[in-house]
Amino acid sequence: MTMQTPTKPAKKPVGPIRGFFKGISSLLKGMGVTFKYFVHPSTVVTQQYPENRETLKMPDRARIRLSMPHDENGYHKCTGCHICEDACPNRSITVVDRKNATTKRQEIDHFIWRMDSCTFCNLCVVVCPFTALKMHGDFENSVYDRRLLIYNLNRYAGPAAPALAKIEDPEERKRNIDERGVYSGLIPMNGSAIAGVRACGKPPESEKVRVTEDDIKGESP
Amino acid sequence: MTIAIRTLEDLTRPSATPDSPLATQEYFVNMGPQHPSTHGVLKLLLKLDGETVREVIPVLGYVHRGMEKVGEHLGYRQFVHMSDRMDYLSALMNNWAVSRAVETAMKIETNERIETIRTIMAELQRIQSHQLWWGVFGMDLGAFTPFLYGFRDREHVTDILEKTTGARLTMNYIQPGGLMFDLHPDFQKEVKEFIAYFRPKLKEYETLFSENVIVHKRVKGVGVLDAKTAISIGTTGPVLRASGVDYDLRKREPYGMYSKVKFEVALGTTGDTWDRYQVRIEEMKQSLSIIEQLIDNIPEGKTMLMKPGAKIKPPEGISYSHMETARGVLGIMLVSDGKDHRPYRIHLRTPNYNNIWSITHTAPGWRIADLVAILSSLDIVVPDMDR
Repeated sequence: MTMQTPTKPAKKPVGPIRGFFKGISSLLKGMGVTFKYFVHPSTVVTQQYPENRETLKMPDRARIRLSMPHDENGYHKCTGCHICEDACPNRSITVVDRKNATTKRQEIDHFIWRMDSCTFCNLCVVVCPFTALKMHGDFENSVYDRRLLIYNLNRYAGPAAPALAKIEDPEERKRNIDERGVYSGLIPMNGSAIAGVRACGKPPESEKVRVTEDDIKGESP
Repeated sequence: MTIAIRTLEDLTRPSATPDSPLATQEYFVNMGPQHPSTHGVLKLLLKLDGETVREVIPVLGYVHRGMEKVGEHLGYRQFVHMSDRMDYLSALMNNWAVSRAVETAMKIETNERIETIRTIMAELQRIQSHQLWWGVFGMDLGAFTPFLYGFRDREHVTDILEKTTGARLTMNYIQPGGLMFDLHPDFQKEVKEFIAYFRPKLKEYETLFSENVIVHKRVKGVGVLDAKTAISIGTTGPVLRASGVDYDLRKREPYGMYSKVKFEVALGTTGDTWDRYQVRIEEMKQSLSIIEQLIDNIPEGKTMLMKPGAKIKPPEGISYSHMETARGVLGIMLVSDGKDHRPYRIHLRTPNYNNIWSITHTAPGWRIADLVAILSSLDIVVPDMDR
């Protein structure tokens, strides 16, 4: 079940004049292919980015950016169980949990995702038992400082959506929640503060930056 | 058979037979590690006489990332994503090789659906890899058009793979115990469209490039690698088959669904650059036919047989799996001590590491421009060599 590559049977060598014309014809045939595309501009496949930004759609499963989807009430499903942190091959995810003030149960405080070291292997999304994480195709992620690639994915610190749904009093629900911005809290990198971060992240007014003197000295989260 | 061991000192001695009547002197040139024709960060130390190559000394290790050592600190599932970064043009096949080694150790029997999808994916990736090689081969010979045409057609496969796997290059799709996702609903339709699209394009490749007289002059009879040398230095894949050695793991030790499909192994006769070119073109055609046979017959079944979060802890022992990637045989050895969810030792046998040494036999005597053609016909991926 094997085959030899197509080799032409040994013919007597082509003379110089015939060889010359055969060579010329082979070149013209090749030119014909390119000429065909030259006169058929409809075959052009080049994408006109950024002109086509409006219509450019990435596939549903595109693994370009990790996100934590929040429902219409603004609640996420993360419980701070650290499973994604263990599954991450290179520690791009750091989960900082806290104890709830009233129920004393574990809940998420900061979900820190380092895009600069992420390999987009999708293991965190696959292993999450609560489907709290999702990869999406938002590919325009350029920033001017590497440290801006370290994100806080949760919009609030507090119980996950199912636990919050059980609390009926809206005032009580609000007391359980502390808002978190994209760049707020223990990040940026190794706790060092960075100019302009707050303006980029647009965190709510109520939130206080938790970077302290000790953090700046090099205590990593 | 005796093997002559040559030291670096031997290589630096002047050659015994200068072929020039002029009183020329041999000299050394570093080609790379920053050279567009060395396909990455490969350094070739050339001993030259004028423009004639006397010796080639490949210098490796510029992208050594210590994958075997890093793997000892990662879980089995996590190591799969490292294998994407070895031979990045055969990422799915690398994933499969690691997964297969883990499945052997864990004694997991996969179902037919998983194996069929894996086989289709591997063949799509082989086509994709050869398309890129074809384009780059043209560019190395000084023709820029094939590069654009090769990439244009490669984009179709990449889009199909991206839709199912979510990534374009480092897929991390084939996992121990199954697949990361099920197929995308459009997958079968798109693959059929691609086959219908690509068959005529392969003919176009022939008209544009394979029948070109300049290409014939540049590659025919250049860099002949005879079968004995090819076996002795351990080359595999198209490089070995171009020398006429019928060694294809898909036929020898069928894995996946290869035992159930009909295909032929393309073989060369002389082992020159032209044969290596023809073998790869023929492999693309065979891959298309393999996909055609499987695409309508994907059985139903589960696509993941293990819990995704479960830690894998194989029993004590060694498991080995090898696989025919687009460049040759990739072998993965995993040693488990039975106590940890991380491997005790990993050893990788990558195809490019052996294939590259064939230029030390084939290139001497040819000019620098021919060396570029010979090197390109090996289809090297440097991160796979250095790993």
